[in-house]
Amino acid sequence: MAIKTWELDSGFKDEIMSEPGGENLTKCFQCSTCTLGCPLTEIVATYNPRKIIQMSLLGMRDEVLSNPDLWICLICQTCTARCPQDVRIADLLSAIRRVAEKEEKAGRLKIESHRPLFDKAFEHQLAKYGRLYDMGLAMEYYKGKEGGSFFKGLLTMSKDYKDFGMRMFKKGKMGPKAMFPEKVKDRAVVKKIFAEFSEG
Amino acid sequence: MSVTKLAYYPGCPSETTAMEQEMSTKAVFEKLGVELVEVEDWNCCGAAEIEDPKLVHALNARNLAIAERAGLDIVTPCSICYYNLERANRALQEDEGFRAKLRGIDPSLEYKGTIKARHILDILMNEIGEAELSSKVVKKVNLKVAPYYGCYIGRPPTTAFDDPDDPVLMDKLVELIGGECVPFSQTKTLCCGGPLMMTRADIAFAMARKVLEAAKNAGADCVALACPLCGMMLDAKQPDIEAELGISIGMPVVYITQLLGLALGIEPNKLGLNKNAVETKEILGRVK
Repeated sequence: MAIKTWELDSGFKDEIMSEPGGENLTKCFQCSTCTLGCPLTEIVATYNPRKIIQMSLLGMRDEVLSNPDLWICLICQTCTARCPQDVRIADLLSAIRRVAEKEEKAGRLKIESHRPLFDKAFEHQLAKYGRLYDMGLAMEYYKGKEGGSFFKGLLTMSKDYKDFGMRMFKKGKMGPKAMFPEKVKDRAVVKKIFAEFSEG
Repeated sequence: MSVTKLAYYPGCPSETTAMEQEMSTKAVFEKLGVELVEVEDWNCCGAAEIEDPKLVHALNARNLAIAERAGLDIVTPCSICYYNLERANRALQEDEGFRAKLRGIDPSLEYKGTIKARHILDILMNEIGEAELSSKVVKKVNLKVAPYYGCYIGRPPTTAFDDPDDPVLMDKLVELIGGECVPFSQTKTLCCGGPLMMTRADIAFAMARKVLEAAKNAGADCVALACPLCGMMLDAKQPDIEAELGISIGMPVVYITQLLGLALGIEPNKLGLNKNAVETKEILGRVK
């Protein structure tokens, strides 16, 4: 890929570094320890966090934010544990993901991955109940995946999770505690936390 | 033994998909004479899905504050809950401004920063200790075990309580109860794939397959682990992984507290050994 210097965004690194977790971006000296030790590279050979960092430092804003590889980091922290420069790469990639999500919210980017949808659906369960409600999460996620159709979502979910659901049922793991949400009593304070710290 | 009472943070899957971990944790600690007092009205830690650190810190400030008011350190059987609780704890202890902000949002979020978050494996091995555990072992768990640690026991360095590349606490516990650890150091700290289970099942399944096949190739009778997301991927989803990838694994996967419970002479059903997706009957026959 040819780098077009006139298209570089010199403010991009500051944008990332102002997100919590992105603070140590400029400490990276490109040793590639993160990438060599990353367990994901054994499955997705092209996955390269070192490259994402260098492109961020250069200011290749559009290329970084539209990179589908942002959404397959498992946050396993191997890179963070091994980085000699304390870049905290797992946190840094998370910070870049949040910049991308803001960009999408502003209508300037279309994220191809379903991961933001899943994370948001997860967050909505917490905001509503204070605890994770698996069924609610799955239903909201599948609905979103199927373009907002609750019925289509339900169908796809049933197809994907039929065997799994039956397996859990046979083991006594699909009782009322799984079918209905467990709610925190003091949901008022949970609501206040989300009002203050969540982008919604 | 220095610890007799702890605040217990079960985590969201404790009454559903990871009920066998919850059952075995409670049974083991009761047997060891350590009282677990559930954190009153606890909320979710944010898991791997809440990515904004400020939101994670605020959510866990509430849990930490409840335990602190009870005057107890907080312990959890889940590696992800542990990571979120303790990283929030460190951040809150270092940031008086953020603590003040939380106080201002609601008085119930007032946290002074006087307690610690711990993982049950850490408590078992570093507080209760090997000598005390050995003295209570009544049965020999004669199994070849692949001790699987996953991500948050040895990483990241700020919250880790074991070696990042070759953690040993579970190995020692397996040997203490009469088991044998198969060679597993190349695999024991790999990720199970859990965070991508719903959004990139292809990658998640490939990750989990590596762990399960490595255990099988090493001659293990079972995998032992200490995190409900690892349990979900390696045990509950194992038949799905076999079907999707056209392979046969059949590897029993148990929580380390289930194995320890057997050694302490606790009934298998009280340890939820009938709840694991992959049958555990064969391994039960090896406990004498």
